[in-house]
Amino acid sequence: MFRICDITGFKVDLSSEKLIRYNAVFAVVSLLLAVVAALLLVLTRYQPIHLLGAEWYYRLVTFHGLNALIFWIIFFEIAGLYFGSTVVLNTRFCSPKAGWVAFILMASGLVMSNVIILMGKADVMLTSYTPLKAHPLYYLGIILFAVGALIAVALFFGNLMIARRENAYGDSLPLFTYGLMTAAIIAVITLATGALIYIPTFLWSLGLVENVDPAMYKLIWWGLGHSSQQINVAAMVSIWYMVSFLAVGGTSINEKVSRSAFVLYILFICLASAHHLLTDPGVSSAWKVWNTSYAMYLAVLASMIHAFAVPSSFESAQRRWGYNKGLFEWLSKAPWGNPAFSSVILAIIGFGFIGGTTGVVFGMEQTNIIVHNTIAIPGHFKGTVVIGTTLTFMGITYYLIPLIFRRKIVGFKWAKVQPWLFFIGIALLSISMIVLGQLGVPRRHWDSTFSGGPFTHNFNPAVDFFWALMMLGGVIAFTATIIWILIVVFSVFLGPKVNGPQDMQLTISPLAPPAKSHKGFEAPGTLILTFVFLLVFLAIFFLNWKWLAATWYVK
Amino acid sequence: MSLLKPEEGWYYKKVSKDEKMWMLIALVLCIMMFIWMVLWHVYGKQNPSSLTYRTSTTEFGKLSSAYIKQNMVGSDNGVPVVRPQPNTDVFLLAEMWRWSPVMILQKDQAYKMHISSRDVVHGLSIQPVNMNFQVYPGYDYVLEFKPTEAGEYKIVCNEFCGIGHHTMIGKIVVIEKDEDLKLYGYENFKKAPDPVATFKKEAMSETEMALQGEQVYTLKGCAACHKIDGTSQLAPSWKGLFGKDEKVLVDGKEIMVSVDESYIIESIKDPTKKVTVGFEKTPMPVFPLTDEEIDFLVAYIKTLKN
Repeated sequence: MFRICDITGFKVDLSSEKLIRYNAVFAVVSLLLAVVAALLLVLTRYQPIHLLGAEWYYRLVTFHGLNALIFWIIFFEIAGLYFGSTVVLNTRFCSPKAGWVAFILMASGLVMSNVIILMGKADVMLTSYTPLKAHPLYYLGIILFAVGALIAVALFFGNLMIARRENAYGDSLPLFTYGLMTAAIIAVITLATGALIYIPTFLWSLGLVENVDPAMYKLIWWGLGHSSQQINVAAMVSIWYMVSFLAVGGTSINEKVSRSAFVLYILFICLASAHHLLTDPGVSSAWKVWNTSYAMYLAVLASMIHAFAVPSSFESAQRRWGYNKGLFEWLSKAPWGNPAFSSVILAIIGFGFIGGTTGVVFGMEQTNIIVHNTIAIPGHFKGTVVIGTTLTFMGITYYLIPLIFRRKIVGFKWAKVQPWLFFIGIALLSISMIVLGQLGVPRRHWDSTFSGGPFTHNFNPAVDFFWALMMLGGVIAFTATIIWILIVVFSVFLGPKVNGPQDMQLTISPLAPPAKSHKGFEAPGTLILTFVFLLVFLAIFFLNWKWLAATWYVK
Repeated sequence: MSLLKPEEGWYYKKVSKDEKMWMLIALVLCIMMFIWMVLWHVYGKQNPSSLTYRTSTTEFGKLSSAYIKQNMVGSDNGVPVVRPQPNTDVFLLAEMWRWSPVMILQKDQAYKMHISSRDVVHGLSIQPVNMNFQVYPGYDYVLEFKPTEAGEYKIVCNEFCGIGHHTMIGKIVVIEKDEDLKLYGYENFKKAPDPVATFKKEAMSETEMALQGEQVYTLKGCAACHKIDGTSQLAPSWKGLFGKDEKVLVDGKEIMVSVDESYIIESIKDPTKKVTVGFEKTPMPVFPLTDEEIDFLVAYIKTLKN
């Protein structure tokens, strides 16, 4: 039931490997569904084309949200959890049967919800704020999926227990698995919150419960909706550390710092969901400021710590390999031909500069007034969950194909280009959406000419340019995703078999040599980059507050 | 060594100077942002209010229509227009798919707006000044606005509220002096007319009834879906409707009906019994109208000829 990997030397449990493969395949299918919908949506919002009718536009917004934010990400994360808790720890899968039960529950949830949406019985958006009501099977599908995911997370802990009992990893978990463990803990909190809100809503849709209070619904729903993004962040950052190890033999320059930052995520992110209610009635300013600052900022602090720790792990390793000239030789001589490496670097840049900066500024109580529910919000999370998480997952797949699927990557030249193309596409899309939102354009809105309304409104003429840019970005990103999917599908099903280390197209670096003792900064280049980040952040911060100060007075 | 166990003594390894520096900067930044938000409540002029009242959709609907009846100075495209006194309470109702009323406000004067929804969750988005708030059914959110610039503003709905979401757009006009009303075609809207007199039905002519019907059309929100300009995006236009033959669905079967008084009355009282073909996706809700108000509406519809 084990094979010894001839490339990494890891002991691979075959039943675990099969589960990883199936979950990964379903992740890719979900991503395909999501991006096809995304292309149609972008072409609809771009007014000169205005492709879909109102009905199908809203239907596909719902469909896109569910497949991209829930199915693609969670299927991939489950594959990652299984990988991190068995292969990496040289241990066996605790209960493959339960693993299949989890998989079947999740897959049937996916099919059920998607079919109901496409039948037009659940045009309620991913958020499905009550009293908008969907068909009961829509909620049931999501509940089935969540139960399956919860079982999978439990199996992850089961695997850790076996590994501990069999003393597979010594005293401390590897950092990658440690990070995944924090993701798994957040996942338990998140999925439990999801049950807390989806079960009453399901009963309400059946007519068994009379009313689901809309404000309570929104409060608890975001305990699922936002915390689940923190699962993504924890999983993504874990992969960043892993790619640093695989690509340049790097490691966190201080593991205690990195591990503590992961713990901050667990402790504080759930409260931060409050920033979805900043312009809502029912909760006071004191509640909003407290929950979005101390709680969220300690989670933000965690991301800021990783923002230094991850690049510095690359820098430190590269310097130890001898790329020591100046501030940035470590970066210019980095393995840019390795698509997993370039994906991760681009993901870090996009996540920090686009998603992170806007996330913190939009999440402040007062500045939220000028962006709430505008298209700047999806623009922000395209920066976090698409450039950040999705591009990271795409990048690590270039390692999973040879190591888990045991196939060579077909079209490796394209694989080198794909991360850049995807980054450029989503960056254009995301930045245009943020600008459009700052100009007041609403999100989830079929017709910004307001046809059929009693009045009309013309946005700032600058919107025309950014609509075009957004469409261009969307088309580029769609193309890059299709290239990635084709590479994955062709490699996995038709690629030549990997028979040993000589077939690896992506190098696996040995550990960087130990550091010579030195005085001064460990990672001066990274420090400069984080200062640049700080300047960009401050610019966005003051711009937003300036725009806010120009609006009407309100209290 | 993220795939291997950490090196010996990792727990006691000293944190490097640059990493320490960065963590300190990040922490200070977080604390500054917290203080900034608190200080903005003291010195800043834009802070979301903490004042909310529990209400119900029926109660707020009544408050809103009573308010509009008392303060209406005219109507704009089927939406009632009010001109509230500064420092008074204003009731703004969100419903599928309109904002009512249209408001004429004075620059640099404060207005306490009570905002709530009659049906689902909506998003209040004042453009182009770009201020956005969430609107719930059952919660009366009180926001005190003080417009700082004169001009015409629109209220866009930016929370998905059903298929007609994109048609949900309202209006606020901010003026400095009375003459500005002319800019918006509101020159006749200077003061509230006498409260709607209670007529006796038998004493009214068809024309009077039609005029009353027009008010009902505006006040009750029929205008959100039924247009009088001949366009039929969400519901059949009332222009030229009376006397027309319409194809309707009854229990899944298509039949032809002629639009007469009894058909209109039946459609208002039981809107889903016969649904006009082509509008199955936007079923009409039941509106609480008196028989007298329905008669007024019928009289009004009769006057809307092609």
